[in-house]
Amino acid sequence: MSNKHLFLNSGFVRAPLQNGVGRYVCQLQRIVLKFCKTHGSCRGLRDFIEQDLVDFAKQNPGVVVYLKPRRHRGPVAVAEYLNGDRVWMNLANKTHSEITKWIEVLRTQQGDIASTRLRKYQYTDHPSIQGPWTPFTFKNPELNTAVLPDQKFGANDRLPMSATEQLRLMFEKQKLEEGDVKTAE
Amino acid sequence: MNKIALLARCVPLTTKLGQVVPITIQCQKISRWVAPTLMELKKREDKLGGKKVTPRNTFLEWNLEAELFAFGKRLNEDFDSDLLLEAFTDRSYVIKEEMKQKEMNIDIKVKDNRQLAEEGEKFIKEYIQLYLEAVLPKFPQEGVASIRQHLTSEDILANVSLHLGTKDIILAAEYPVDKFILANAFKAIVGALLQSSGEEKAAHFVRDFVVTQIQGKDVNEYWAIEDPWGMLTGLLAKDNTTVEPRLIGETGKNTLLACYRVGLYVDKKMISSGFGETVATAKEMAAREALKKIFGTEDHMKPINFKLEGIPKRTGHTRHQISAS
Repeated sequence: MSNKHLFLNSGFVRAPLQNGVGRYVCQLQRIVLKFCKTHGSCRGLRDFIEQDLVDFAKQNPGVVVYLKPRRHRGPVAVAEYLNGDRVWMNLANKTHSEITKWIEVLRTQQGDIASTRLRKYQYTDHPSIQGPWTPFTFKNPELNTAVLPDQKFGANDRLPMSATEQLRLMFEKQKLEEGDVKTAE
Repeated sequence: MNKIALLARCVPLTTKLGQVVPITIQCQKISRWVAPTLMELKKREDKLGGKKVTPRNTFLEWNLEAELFAFGKRLNEDFDSDLLLEAFTDRSYVIKEEMKQKEMNIDIKVKDNRQLAEEGEKFIKEYIQLYLEAVLPKFPQEGVASIRQHLTSEDILANVSLHLGTKDIILAAEYPVDKFILANAFKAIVGALLQSSGEEKAAHFVRDFVVTQIQGKDVNEYWAIEDPWGMLTGLLAKDNTTVEPRLIGETGKNTLLACYRVGLYVDKKMISSGFGETVATAKEMAAREALKKIFGTEDHMKPINFKLEGIPKRTGHTRHQISAS
């Protein structure tokens, strides 16, 4: 049994549901901000709620925002996405501006990106453009008009040297050497 | 003397051996206890009857009205809120509610989405048919019908529905909801949009979310042609032309890796070629290739246009009739 899936899911870079081909749909469907009204680490989140939350909700009417005050607990944002992903984010001791940026990250991502191991940094449905290779794929077009058998196309260009050829070369070499001896005399 | 020198030499070596040599191993930094613990937890969970699913709409932070509002806004559509709620009400939920009400002796009528789904389904089918006819003008009726069947299948509609975020909003008797309920809810949403915003809006909705599912797919794959050679000769016979298959290449004859290439010629001009491990397959592949050319669905066809406005009109011009031949 493989335990890999228990830790980190793997995936490819994909847009969910051809998003953007027809129209763009913001993939964040709801966000729950959990905070304490007195806890010190919630200061940043409280500031965010007081100053920016109404604007955020107005600008993103497609995102349902829930506020959940809880006594003496740390601040947390839970984002839920259309593909069913749920991202839990600890916001303890984060400043107002940091939280604004993190919420922007949650809004613009399409799912639980951080806990996915990308198998590749690119993805294609069509790994090959030309189709399967056949022996005729890169055939020399000269062959179409050649009259066969032809010296050029019939030449051996893939097998190793034959024994006959080797013997012939040796014979030539020997003849040359003999000639050398003669000239030296 | 010699022995002492040897010992002295070995002293730094032995101390060096004691040191920790940093070895760089590429691995995830997950402690060794994590996997066994998670496996044990999973075992205990299974022993107690599997993972318990708590539906999102039973949470404290759940507001159905806000969810329905956001659903429309997210998709850039203006839904009538009552109709939208009706579209999300499944039959199973209504039955469960009626049982509850009977026990408590009250009677509040709750409408389910069956009628909306019926209307929506009818509209989706008609519109997709017209749209495919408009964007694939040379593709035969049978092919268009099979693509439409694929697009309106339960799997595709359920997937679309899931990714629009209906999973949590649907009112059903049991959670998680199954594919049929998801697909039905999507049809009902189209029906609701049809009633609240009119045909054009509903058409664009179907185009953007359903028709785009064939983006990047090979349209020929949805239509299985039994006898491509017969179909090709039948089509060409109507134009009084005959097609001539010729063997234009063969390698590895009488071996396991034999490969033949057949070209199809009309008036001494090659219209297509195909290859295969026997001459018959090569001929069939060539015929398929020729049919793709005739239907305008070659591998290098222009991408399908997903931006057609309004509802395309039924075109009067002649479409290849396959069933007749």
